[in-house]
Amino acid sequence: MSHVADFLTPSDLQRIGNLQVFARQVVEGFCSGLHRSPHKGFSVEFKQHRPYVPGDEIRHIDWRVFGRSDRYYIREYEEETNLRATLILDRSGSMGYGANTSKFEYATKLAACLSYLMLQQADSVGMVTFDTEIRRYIPPRSRVSHLKVLVDELENGKTGGETELGNVFHDLVPKLHRRGLLVILSDCFGDVATFLKAMAHFRHAHHEILVFQIWDRDELDFPFKGWTQFECLERAGIKHMLDPVLLRQAYLENLEKFRDELTRGCRRHKIDLVPFCTDQPYAEALAAYLSRRLALK
Amino acid sequence: MTFLNIALLGGVLALAIPIIIHLFHKSRFKIVVWGAMHLLEAVIRQNQRRIQMEQWILLAIRCAIPLLLALLMARPLWKGAAKLLGDTKTSTIILLDNSYSMEVARAGTSNWSLARDEAVRIVSELKQGSEVAVGLMGEGGAGLLDTPTYDTGRVLKALQKAEASSGAANVPASLDFAANTFDQMHESVRQLIVLTDFQRVSFSAQEDSLLSQMIARLKKSAAPPSVTLFDIGPEVRENVAVESLDFSRLMVGVGQKVQIRANLRNFGDQRWPDLRVNFRVDGKDKGAAQIKLGPREKGQVLFTHVFDTAGSHVVEVSADADPLKADNTFLASMQVRDRVPVLLVDGEPNKEPLKSETAFAEIALQPFAAGRVELADLINPRVVAPEALNQQMLAESAVVILANVRKLNDNQLRFVEEFVRNGGGLLIFPGAKIDTSWYQSALHRDGKGLLPLAYAQLAGDAKPGATPASVVSQRFENPALELFNDPRNGSMADAAVRLWFKTKDAPAGSGEPSVVLARLDSGDPLFAEKKFGEGRVIACSTALDADWSNLPMRPFYLPLLQRLTVYLASTIYPPRNLDSGKPIAAFLPAADVDKKATLTTPGGDAIELKIVRKGSLGVAEFTRTQRPGLYTLTPPGGSPIHYVVNANRRESDTSKLTDQEITDLAKSHGVLLVRSSAEYKEHEQKRRFGTELWKPLLWALLIFFIAEMVLEQLFAGVRRKPTSLQPQMAR
Repeated sequence: MSHVADFLTPSDLQRIGNLQVFARQVVEGFCSGLHRSPHKGFSVEFKQHRPYVPGDEIRHIDWRVFGRSDRYYIREYEEETNLRATLILDRSGSMGYGANTSKFEYATKLAACLSYLMLQQADSVGMVTFDTEIRRYIPPRSRVSHLKVLVDELENGKTGGETELGNVFHDLVPKLHRRGLLVILSDCFGDVATFLKAMAHFRHAHHEILVFQIWDRDELDFPFKGWTQFECLERAGIKHMLDPVLLRQAYLENLEKFRDELTRGCRRHKIDLVPFCTDQPYAEALAAYLSRRLALK
Repeated sequence: MTFLNIALLGGVLALAIPIIIHLFHKSRFKIVVWGAMHLLEAVIRQNQRRIQMEQWILLAIRCAIPLLLALLMARPLWKGAAKLLGDTKTSTIILLDNSYSMEVARAGTSNWSLARDEAVRIVSELKQGSEVAVGLMGEGGAGLLDTPTYDTGRVLKALQKAEASSGAANVPASLDFAANTFDQMHESVRQLIVLTDFQRVSFSAQEDSLLSQMIARLKKSAAPPSVTLFDIGPEVRENVAVESLDFSRLMVGVGQKVQIRANLRNFGDQRWPDLRVNFRVDGKDKGAAQIKLGPREKGQVLFTHVFDTAGSHVVEVSADADPLKADNTFLASMQVRDRVPVLLVDGEPNKEPLKSETAFAEIALQPFAAGRVELADLINPRVVAPEALNQQMLAESAVVILANVRKLNDNQLRFVEEFVRNGGGLLIFPGAKIDTSWYQSALHRDGKGLLPLAYAQLAGDAKPGATPASVVSQRFENPALELFNDPRNGSMADAAVRLWFKTKDAPAGSGEPSVVLARLDSGDPLFAEKKFGEGRVIACSTALDADWSNLPMRPFYLPLLQRLTVYLASTIYPPRNLDSGKPIAAFLPAADVDKKATLTTPGGDAIELKIVRKGSLGVAEFTRTQRPGLYTLTPPGGSPIHYVVNANRRESDTSKLTDQEITDLAKSHGVLLVRSSAEYKEHEQKRRFGTELWKPLLWALLIFFIAEMVLEQLFAGVRRKPTSLQPQMAR
């Protein structure tokens, strides 16, 4: 059984904890269009029955079930919030890049951080992991204990396979039958147009979207020197031998173009595109982003 | 192309180093397992060809760097055409400017010693077996040795002994010498080196056209030489020269006062407030004067002297001035006479007083004796009949006057011609008795004979009352008549010539031209002069006596005859005042043939000269008169004869062509100009061994180094700002 402390250091938790108050405001702010009065609409929703155990309050026993089955069952209710957040975590091969901390590790920490933060606020948090297809879907729950489920999934996650953001996201739309907040943690590599189409699909389903784009510094600066063989993380057998110094300029231009297209597309769809680099402390980077959101609010 | 350090050429193998490094690096590649392959692949696809090209360029530059370095260290020589002609035997002529302007001293040396040292160095560095000739420009290109030689040691010895002459540099003549000498030389590779101070007077505009002709001639020769002008030394302008001496008398007699005017000129910018000028006669101080000479000024100093004895004397005027000594002193050799023997050949003798043809002339020539005055007459006339004229009489006379002589026999004519040709003077007056056809055919000979005027027919009218011709007033240029330019000495214009001979012109181009000295108002010449051999002939168109004119009655008759006679007698032959390099000669009695005369040179050396026969006379000759000063010839048993050699005053103006003018001169004639020994050596090095290419190679190496660095940066792209990670906010 994994524990959240495996992902988040005490100082990270402290830092996120400090952010709790304004983070909640921010999160609430995001979802302000979802419910007209988030606090008034607070209610309970039947979730499941479970056997009575000593210590449970007598008033929670479902007497109708007792009448039919002659057994004590406790009627469990799920608290309904105004926020249903789904963390969509890319575990494709390209996310495995990184010397000390891979992009995937970084993304998992961010995901853990967000999960903790939102569950602390009693919001529902769900998670989807994918590479070429959806690998796991954990529906949003608001219980604190749900964090363990999420953390377990984060810990067990491994990278591999190609990125197919467009198709995966299109497949995901029907599963997310209730509108909510989608937080995509990915490097967004692949065809920008397909990605943006998928984003448009999400937006059409009235989802709010946050894209946390994860970069490694090498991908941003391309600092390699000397003859280098580049081997593809996603497709085995793809190799390129070259002198990177001669390509650096062109690579950086191409990178700029890619990021421009992505940024413009996200702006068009009113999506926050938040780049993170694995050499930044994730807690600080997250805090900085949230602070900025707060300032804009 | 050759290499001075051929062993280091092996370094070109170092061009393999970049290739090896390239291959080594390629084999020692890093592996990066890369995520953002979609970004990289697009770039590789689009830039593959460009990158390959850039890699090839960089590799080529990197290979070129060690290649250039190896070439640089191997010191390549580009020989071009010189490869064929380079270090081979040559026929070399050095024209050495030894004119006396080269002797200008400065800082313990002189241009002459610099030029000589340079010539010595050039000769000693010639390829063994080369042929050499040295021409001395101050002596009109005379060879230092008689013929070109392969014995460079002999040339070096001669050069060490060579001295600057006192002559002026004669550039065209020197180039002529070079062209002629090249014809006698044998090697096909030829060079002409002119070592000169580029004195302005030697390279004037007039000289330039001659120079062009001579250089064109050299270039057209079968084996044209390379011509190098070597500029020796800077300009030293300070120079004061005694330019000339003028004498108040054409001929100086014993006891006669003579005024000597020395003309001085300051060629420099220095001021001479009290320049001392010394006057010496026969080596003894006879006076001194001080003169003030400003920058570029001329001045004159006057000295007076009376000679006590007849014979050869030397007058010397010297200025105590600048270090260019050769022109500070001017010497003049003077023949002081106690009498001038004049032979009057009377064609119409008459024993009655003043009736003979020469009666008036005889009186005019020795007025003191005629007037029974106790004064010495300089001129000593002797009257003879035409038939008596013989060679002996001529030999004893300085001037012969033919007065109304009908004709001479052939022998007499031959003797007279020889007399004039050897420097004698002849004065011819016609008269009623002359045989005009003989005068025309034998004496005039269409301008080739003695007579300057071809007597044709008589003009004028002897009858009383007829209008006579008079002498046209004019400025007389001839020294014999210039006395009458001053009216105080009498005017020839009041003469009345009743009869005279008209003359006809001589055919063009025949013999020495005649010069008309004075004319009658009828337009006919009165006096005309012509040079014949070394002597002079003056002819008059009217008679010597009073039959045809009133000349003997006029006051100017006496000075006129005296001046004409002295003028004709003043020719000293052989000449005793010589330019540097001109030969000394003395005519001596035939009895002295095969005996020896002694010549004392300015350096004090006594040289014995053998007297050789020449016609009816003995002749002693000496040719090596480059050194200015006094040469004294003592014939056997005779009085010493003084010869003086003066430095050519043309060289006194030591101003030099400007650097630009010298450059233009060399350029216009298409010849090489060098200004220093180092520069000459560099050119010679190039000519013989080719051009060292290390400089351009070094530049190329630097350019390749820089290009490698720049291109690497350029291909790698400019430094970019760190990628910004600003989030894109939806709101």
